[in-house]
Amino acid sequence: MGSLTGLLFAGGLGFMLLAVASGLDFGAPPMLIGTEIQAHAPQQTGAANIVTSVVLGYRAIDTLGELSILFASAVSAGLVLGRRHTTAGTQTKGGFILQSGGSLLFPLMMTIGFYIIFHGHLTPGGGFQGGVILAAAFFLPLLARPGARLHHKSLSLIEGFAGASFILIGLFAMLEGKAFLQPMLIQDTLGQLVSAGTLPLLYLAVGLKVGAELASLLSRLIQTEAPQ
Amino acid sequence: MISAVTPELILHITAIGLIAIGLAGVVLSSHLFRMVLALVIAEAGANLMLVLAGYRWDAVAPILTSRAEPAAMVDPVPQALVLTAIVIGVGIQALAVSILIRIRQRYATLDRKEAAERMDAEIAATLGAPRDISQEAPLGERPLPPLPADQINMRGDSP
Amino acid sequence: MSTNLVLIIALPLLGAFLLPVLMRSSMAIALWSGPAILIYGCWIIADLWLSGFAQPLSVAIGGFAPPLGINLYVDSLALLFAFAVQLLGLVFWPFTLDQESARRQSLMLLLVAASTGLALSGDLFNLYVFYELAAVATFGLASASGSGAAYVATLRYLILSGIGSVLTLFGIALIYSQTGTLNLAHLAQLAPEQLHNSLGLTAFLAILIGIGVKAELFPVNTWVPEIYATASTRLSAFLAGLLSKLALLIILRLLLLIFHQPEAAQVILILGILGVISGELAAWRAREMKRMLAFSSIGQLGMIFIAMALPDGKGMLAVLALSLHHLIIKSGLFMLAEDWGGALERLRGSAKASPLGAVLFVLFSLSLVGMPPLPGFWAKFVLITELAAQVEPLYLLGLAVFLLATVVEASYLFRVAATLYGSPAQDTLSEEIPKTKGLSLLTASLFGAGVIAVALLIAPVGDGLQAIAAQALDVDLYITTVSPAVSGGSQ
Repeated sequence: MGSLTGLLFAGGLGFMLLAVASGLDFGAPPMLIGTEIQAHAPQQTGAANIVTSVVLGYRAIDTLGELSILFASAVSAGLVLGRRHTTAGTQTKGGFILQSGGSLLFPLMMTIGFYIIFHGHLTPGGGFQGGVILAAAFFLPLLARPGARLHHKSLSLIEGFAGASFILIGLFAMLEGKAFLQPMLIQDTLGQLVSAGTLPLLYLAVGLKVGAELASLLSRLIQTEAPQ
Repeated sequence: MISAVTPELILHITAIGLIAIGLAGVVLSSHLFRMVLALVIAEAGANLMLVLAGYRWDAVAPILTSRAEPAAMVDPVPQALVLTAIVIGVGIQALAVSILIRIRQRYATLDRKEAAERMDAEIAATLGAPRDISQEAPLGERPLPPLPADQINMRGDSP
Repeated sequence: MSTNLVLIIALPLLGAFLLPVLMRSSMAIALWSGPAILIYGCWIIADLWLSGFAQPLSVAIGGFAPPLGINLYVDSLALLFAFAVQLLGLVFWPFTLDQESARRQSLMLLLVAASTGLALSGDLFNLYVFYELAAVATFGLASASGSGAAYVATLRYLILSGIGSVLTLFGIALIYSQTGTLNLAHLAQLAPEQLHNSLGLTAFLAILIGIGVKAELFPVNTWVPEIYATASTRLSAFLAGLLSKLALLIILRLLLLIFHQPEAAQVILILGILGVISGELAAWRAREMKRMLAFSSIGQLGMIFIAMALPDGKGMLAVLALSLHHLIIKSGLFMLAEDWGGALERLRGSAKASPLGAVLFVLFSLSLVGMPPLPGFWAKFVLITELAAQVEPLYLLGLAVFLLATVVEASYLFRVAATLYGSPAQDTLSEEIPKTKGLSLLTASLFGAGVIAVALLIAPVGDGLQAIAAQALDVDLYITTVSPAVSGGSQ
């Protein structure tokens, strides 16, 4: 009975929302601020990727908030799972193919991760996407060798300083008499690797922070799950 | 308003359908992990809805490839918003999973009802008060004896 | 000068990122950096206030003019709440020292930064981001007590809050696809033509339910008794006292600026009435302190929602007065509950053991019920006069429920007071009677002193609140402050 009411509720809700949403003019959005940003972004931020201009320029404080959320959930997960880890030396190791495959892929994934981070202002991608790949690079050997550990101390160092440098770059702009997180050092080299001023630096901070955070989260989860 | 099955209708149905399926899953499932998964589905629907808000048929990705007059581009703002929303969702899911691990270690169950009952019992025990809703005993007038210290301290990480 | 304001969000975040690293190298610096940041935040705001703050400000972050970039909107209302965030963050600072203090303190700093952002931000999606940040920090702090019950309660809260964030996101998506902007001032200009329809109403309801999770709105407040019973008392006090008010502030701003439709107000009124009824009755049935306070806070917030639903912003002053009053009283009561948590029956005869605590409890209760010289009376009086002036039956129903709720409130609070002053049962030893002591009693006394000070200075405080309310009600002022290029305003 309860499940039937639940289904009816969800179905009715969906139908209602659909009826409302069908009034929207799909495919031709108003784009009030969208067109403005498209027109001004190349001059104001110097990044060829306009999404990057929005993420790190126009809505930079959203990105800062989002980094903080990731940080908050990593800290909370640390608080929940605790520091004590089971000694995971007793576990079965992955086979030869898994292990060597993991070590082979590690440098490749690091390269791709950093490539995506450094080209975030030119091509699709950026700090978040690259950071996730970095985390995966660290996580892969861990899957192949369940006994291995990540160095949590250095991870939390990277985490802290990468996040801090994002804010410090923003505060540096204030020292120069500009607004908090205002893009600076914009060169007139749209579309080249060295362009968009401080934006790639911000993306580097984002990428390192995301990578370190996800890696420590995943390794914490895998270590806690180990049978006792 | 809607005369035929058009692509926009299908996309909107997908987005809202995902939200409805997710919410129904949260309401209906009896397993805590499934509730978290259902939430993930609903979040995907909301994100899809958000990204649809800036879509244009006749446009390209908002990346400049030359200094010439650019072609029509889709709205970059929703894409940035969705990026933010996805990362927020990932953070919350990771936290939810780690809490689930702990609940399973403490209560040896992830059943929604059982976990809720165990929680109520534990709250009542730590607060030294009879439970608010109880079939057996009337609303508590009896003072309970103080609990032994080892029961109050529920922290007890496994030795 | 005003650009410094962004520091009260940026510095706590910086501190939170660096605390775990700092704590490893130098304990002393790390321990004091959190409170130092909060004190500096208080100083920035006080400095701005004292240097002749009259007109609202808009601070563009990143130097991008508002409709494109994100701005902080700073009027006296926002500034008041931002100051309250810093101050209460300091008062409820987790001073306890153990292995986890670095994590707990950095979560607290994140919570403070997010709450400040909620008070100041002028962008819809940015508000959502800060709201989620506050939520995640709350999850971490709530589960920190480490009991199984705390974990289950936190997970249930997380899931409810997740439903809320899905709905909020959906509402934001609807608004963005209709208008193409997210800036509140810009939306306020566009709203009369584009959002005063069924689509706008749906978006508002979605956001209302979403944000309402934190504001303890009626159908989405099941987490309240569970979290307040399992989490630390200081966190409960911060959540019930401040975070719920900030969520309320967002709903209020949205209602004033964007969705001033009669239907929206009616929904809020109905949910508020239901909240008052359910909260006060549950509080009356509760047999132990923390749950009683949790349910009573649901009821109190329901009253504020009733005030918010008054047409044409007539309830603004009442909303403000009731919110601030509840903020002070509930924080004080929760601080008393830190030692007096547990079954109410256990408290029999506590007044002898801790006279100051009992006096404070009676003071807070009297003000909460609305005894004439105390500030609670004036807050409730403003609401009653406004409600009685309405002719619609629904508002009169609200008035009736409000008066009844006051009676119920009086009955359960004075029952506790009677227990406190009763003679202890014969078989209990005097050591078993819980005493209020130490830091929590000191903090509670601070709030008690605050109540008495407000009661003595009721005239200037009332005038100040009136000015703040008038400024917050001025939609045209909001729009012209944020985007001075556009003249004329919304209508």
